[in-house]
Amino acid sequence: MEYRINAENLALLYRDASERFDALPAFAIRKSPLDWKPVSYQELYQQGLDLATGLIELGVRARDHIGLFGDNRFEWILSDYGVQLCGAADVPRGRDVTDEELLYIIDHANIQVAFVETPALQDRILRLRDQLPGLREIILLDPDALPRKGVKKLQDVLHHGARLRVEGDRRVEERIAGVRPDDLFTLIYTSGTTGKPKGVMLTHANMISQIKNIPGIHNCNDRVLSVLPIWHIFERVIEMYTVSFGGCTYYSSIQTLGEDMQNVEPTFMASAPRLWEKLHEKILRQVKASHPVRQVLFHIAYFLSRQYRDSEYFLTGKFLKLRPVPLWKRIVLTPFHVARWLIVLPWYGFFNAAVLERLRIGVGGSLKATISGGGALPIHIDRFFNYVGIPVLEGYGMTETSPVISVRSMDNLVVGTVGPPIPETEIRIADPETSEILYPNDKLPDQGRAVRGEVWLRGPQVMKGYYRDAELTGKTIRDGWLRTGDLGVMTHNDCLKILGRCKATIVLSSGENIEPEPIEMRLQQSRFIDHCMLVGQDRKFLGALIIPSLAEFRNEGIDAESVEDLTRISEAHRIVRSEIHRMISVSNGFKRYEQIRDFRLLPDTFQVGRELTNLYKIKRHEVESKFNHVIGDLFSSEKSRKF
Amino acid sequence: MEFDTQLLYAHDQILLALMIFVIMLGMGASLTTDDFKAVGRRPRGVLIGFLSQFGLMPFIAFSLATLLGFPPAFAIALILIGCLPGGTTSNMFTYFSRGSVALSISMTTASTLLALLMMPVLLKLYAAGFTGQISAEMRAAGAETDFVIPTGNIINSLILVLVPVAMGMILRKKSPGWAKTAEDTAGFVAIIVILYLLLTAFIRHGDLFLRTPGVVYIGALGIGLTGFLFGYWFSRLLGVFPLFQRAISLETGIQNGPLAFAVILLSFQEPVQSQMLWLAILYSTFIVLTSSVVTLYYRKKGKFDWDVYRNTVIHNRLFGPEYVTHYPDGFLPPRLVKDPSQGNSPSQKRN
Repeated sequence: MEYRINAENLALLYRDASERFDALPAFAIRKSPLDWKPVSYQELYQQGLDLATGLIELGVRARDHIGLFGDNRFEWILSDYGVQLCGAADVPRGRDVTDEELLYIIDHANIQVAFVETPALQDRILRLRDQLPGLREIILLDPDALPRKGVKKLQDVLHHGARLRVEGDRRVEERIAGVRPDDLFTLIYTSGTTGKPKGVMLTHANMISQIKNIPGIHNCNDRVLSVLPIWHIFERVIEMYTVSFGGCTYYSSIQTLGEDMQNVEPTFMASAPRLWEKLHEKILRQVKASHPVRQVLFHIAYFLSRQYRDSEYFLTGKFLKLRPVPLWKRIVLTPFHVARWLIVLPWYGFFNAAVLERLRIGVGGSLKATISGGGALPIHIDRFFNYVGIPVLEGYGMTETSPVISVRSMDNLVVGTVGPPIPETEIRIADPETSEILYPNDKLPDQGRAVRGEVWLRGPQVMKGYYRDAELTGKTIRDGWLRTGDLGVMTHNDCLKILGRCKATIVLSSGENIEPEPIEMRLQQSRFIDHCMLVGQDRKFLGALIIPSLAEFRNEGIDAESVEDLTRISEAHRIVRSEIHRMISVSNGFKRYEQIRDFRLLPDTFQVGRELTNLYKIKRHEVESKFNHVIGDLFSSEKSRKF
Repeated sequence: MEFDTQLLYAHDQILLALMIFVIMLGMGASLTTDDFKAVGRRPRGVLIGFLSQFGLMPFIAFSLATLLGFPPAFAIALILIGCLPGGTTSNMFTYFSRGSVALSISMTTASTLLALLMMPVLLKLYAAGFTGQISAEMRAAGAETDFVIPTGNIINSLILVLVPVAMGMILRKKSPGWAKTAEDTAGFVAIIVILYLLLTAFIRHGDLFLRTPGVVYIGALGIGLTGFLFGYWFSRLLGVFPLFQRAISLETGIQNGPLAFAVILLSFQEPVQSQMLWLAILYSTFIVLTSSVVTLYYRKKGKFDWDVYRNTVIHNRLFGPEYVTHYPDGFLPPRLVKDPSQGNSPSQKRN
């Protein structure tokens, strides 16, 4: 029984959700593992109206940009309600925003009123205030913190608005009626992986189209666990989507995720690949630590599930089909798969019930689906979760497309792809150099499926543009087509497969093009390697910067206090070298020029906000500039080494 | 029909005994003393389950045997199966059919204990007509004695079987890790042994499958299915809500098969023993298949009310026991609106 609210803009969505779902909980805030505070749709909307009135009273006009600096908490979403209901747009950013970014964003977006979450953030912004002549009002979100001079408390603004509404103030209703579909609801500054922050303008129509087109069967019985940063568009769209079907969003955190999964028993979740990697590691650790009999049972169950699912995927055509399967091959293989499916079925049924269900209970037991986005999900992790019966739907998108471009749905679960484009979305694959259209192209076999190129798209989710940067907007969106800068192919079952960033491509001095991401992903499967990044642009060979896993080396009996110690231990180098040789070899399907000739161990782990984006993508230029000397040293051997 | 050869050799019997031991141990390992106390907390559900298990099932068995014109030894075996308490597998099937596992466990626990009393009584009542037939056949074959239901032996074997159950419970208390393993192993062992018995029966007495009258297959298959059907509608008529309805239905149809083997091996002799065992093997095989199918059906059918139920349980878990979930008008069908389990209910036992 699916039901989604279909509204014209977010303000109307909030109003309709309140009317329809009324007393159902919209958001739940964690106070202790078993004590959460629910806020109903109706309460949230009423508070939103009050806050919006308070904001109008502070002089916020329709279509103003309001700063919203902070992480996931109830007051964040309340502020968003207030902003949307008074017809303004918010400019969100997390607690980890740097001073330079604050200065740049507040000035560039012309922010006059800003919400800040914590006292620390309040102090920082007050220190910068001299340099921010345009900033008129600062509102503190944290209800337990004391505002400094010149800073208002969220509750005070809200109460003031509430009084006005009691007296009959109905300015908010006028504002709601005045919201146009192409008004901004948010202006998101992305530092992304390169360059200075860009303001992505997303409109109400963008978000509303996403709510309408995301595949999924949900209703107001659903519980959605939230762990990703709310100011990131991926988490934002999931929360808006949840509001549209009346589900409840439970604010969890990375630290409490395991526990919260048990207690909340989420039915739906959005997550980044790193989270699944962690969970995968944890499950395998638990299996290893379990009773030998149970270990054997797990392996039998996993084996059977693989046989069963592989045959199922083959028979339903839901497998990664880069090339079409010739008819004779289908005729030969079909009886085999039918037989295998039938033989395995009863055993799979039993082991699935007795063994794999335990594992699923470990993540709450009620997950209908989870969406992974914000980066590529390593294929072995992808397979693992789908085999054990936790459907991971990998999606693909970017802030500029608010964000979903394509996503696997439950009935189109092709592992290894990011699924078919969502409705109303057109995809083109084009040559990144010449802009020649490769897919759909009638001159190429199968219309150009299986040909790699840059992904372009056209659809209602494409941003309005970059704020005050017509030049960049013109470069990114040409003739209505947004150029993603990602390399991809269309498969024969019309799913999109993403191969990496166009720009991440490393061109060796020999002229060979290398996609670093698949190689890096392969390397990171080694338990000794936490993170790595390939380097070698314009060099003779490919090198790797590697962050060793301290815990694993210690398990091996290597005495090191820190990652930095490891860089001085030759045994650690030996292990990493043999790991690289083991993983990246011609016999593993890597080309000769993709071999890693040399590497350096880095003395410090990559951190979110520094070397990693919030979705754990490497900021390549960041790493390159920081470890410039290491890279120089790595390639100093260029002349002397002969291969 | 005649069973001139013994169905099971000595080593098969040992294997079967081992299986019974392992399964009963597993059953015990899944129980705690809390489960016994829980019976008292759910008197209505357990009572309806009791009526359904010991009232409906033996009568269904008797009716099927009579209507289908069963040979007497098979008839007694079928009635014996009808009088058995619920099996532990019903808990697993109930879990996957999105029924109340807590109620299923309570019913299994209660019926296993009550079986000591109910089984001999019911067996005597329903099997009376068929024992006469067997006696007549035996006399015709030159035997001197009459065939009687060995009531004392049955009670003894039931008590004997409860020993590993008690051991399992102790295991659970001492080492929950081992208890979990024992629980898992039990289900697996049961499937393996039943398949082994089927296979050996097929190899050694291939014609046995052909010599068995068709009605016996129908009866062995039908008793479980009829049990599911009657259990479902009987509890529905008494106004039981879907979650519990599914549990009662499965509990009614799924009997403790291994217990049947134990009782037959320990209490009955040839010429009836082999035939009775054969029927027990057939029932045990069919019930796995039918319960799987019925479970898949219930799982689909029960998805909505289960989601509503879980959501309210979790709301009460996280927002406090006083919290009441208010769904929008028209979201819940009228039957669920009245269901007390959709409002404030104690959270459900999962494992």
